[in-house]
Amino acid sequence: MALAVPARRSRLLLAGLVLVHLAVISHQVDGGGGVSLLQRGLLAVLSPLQRGVGAIVGGVGEAWRGWAFHRKTYQENRRLEQRVRRLETELQESSARAQDGVRLRELLDLRRAVPMETVAAEVVSRDGVPWFRSLTIDKGDADGVVLDAPVMCPTGVVGRVFAVGPHAARVQVLLDRDSGAGVLVERSRVPGVVSGQVSGQASGAEDLVLEYVPERSDVMVGDVVVTSGLDRIYPKGLVVGRVRYVGKGSGLFRDIRVEPSARFDRLEEVLVVRQAREPLETPRSVQ
Amino acid sequence: MSRAFWTGLAIAGAVLVETALTYLVASPGRYLDPFLLVTVYCALAGGETHGMLAGAAAGWVQDVLFGGRVLGLSSLSKLVVGFGVGLAGGRFMIAGAAARALVILLATVADALLLQWLASVFSLPATGLSPLALVSRATLNALVGGLAFALADRRLGSRP
Repeated sequence: MALAVPARRSRLLLAGLVLVHLAVISHQVDGGGGVSLLQRGLLAVLSPLQRGVGAIVGGVGEAWRGWAFHRKTYQENRRLEQRVRRLETELQESSARAQDGVRLRELLDLRRAVPMETVAAEVVSRDGVPWFRSLTIDKGDADGVVLDAPVMCPTGVVGRVFAVGPHAARVQVLLDRDSGAGVLVERSRVPGVVSGQVSGQASGAEDLVLEYVPERSDVMVGDVVVTSGLDRIYPKGLVVGRVRYVGKGSGLFRDIRVEPSARFDRLEEVLVVRQAREPLETPRSVQ
Repeated sequence: MSRAFWTGLAIAGAVLVETALTYLVASPGRYLDPFLLVTVYCALAGGETHGMLAGAAAGWVQDVLFGGRVLGLSSLSKLVVGFGVGLAGGRFMIAGAAARALVILLATVADALLLQWLASVFSLPATGLSPLALVSRATLNALVGGLAFALADRRLGSRP
């Protein structure tokens, strides 16, 4: 009867019960600081473990938060970079649209001021070869563009159409050395002919040469030069440019250079005259 | 009847005795410990497992009904004493009244020393028993226990 339960089991039971009792007693005993001895003992035993676990978890958490923060920052950075690029693109587009608006408004003003039937065209290319000064527009005979039709921009005469296709045309600009337009000095009404100059001549290759002006003619620097209409190509009254240089010529004529009012290197839209309606007056935008 | 029932009944009797003594003497615990007698008897009769379980149960009842602020001290001491007595009962022939009285005496001393040691370990304010008081208590326990065990043996018809 005394050995009914094996000694090993009874010893284990004893140990377990002793531990339980110790725990229960410790739980009731005030270990100081208002906590029981059990709590104090458990704290003493478990707090280093808790600190270790806390340090590990904290370190891992910190690393995770750091990684997540860097990842978030990286993603945010990429998103912001994309947004900046998109905004820059939009800004450029807006700026371009604003500039387009200004140009088109000027073109519209010119179209209203010019007493001729015109068609607006967009410059699609310019100066295809170095020996000729020309540009290509996106309107052709399907749009009413005809050969020798004068082309102008809000600031002045551009040139004339010298080749026409169904939906495109080539324009010879005034800077071309083979071009020519009958003009007169607006102030003194002195007639002449402007054309492009051969490269390498005296002053400024981007200037026009005003030819056939007699030595005693009243021409001064700053005079406005307009088309005379005598060439049967350009209507009378279109602004060509301003006199920039007046010198003594080699023969009977003076050496005069005219700064074209049209900015050939910045042309984007032009007006092509289809049919003259009445004599021209200088448009306000040109003045 | 199962062993648990008789053990519970014995513990209930110990409660009655302790309660009765409360009305007779000022500090009955200083002279007699009926719960320790139940523990020793169960350990001698049923072995170390029964002894420690009975001691734990009796100690808890003693702690709850007659103990101090901290519960479990008497239970733990009687748990250990019950195990020790049961272990000794399995190793030695403890059959005579004198042997059982001696066991009760030693168990009383061991229980008192163990409880005081536990109180000191847990820094509990406990009134210490003088050696004379301890011997007196142990002797009275042995006498009462010897008598009670004989009565129990006669009633139950068995001897440990």
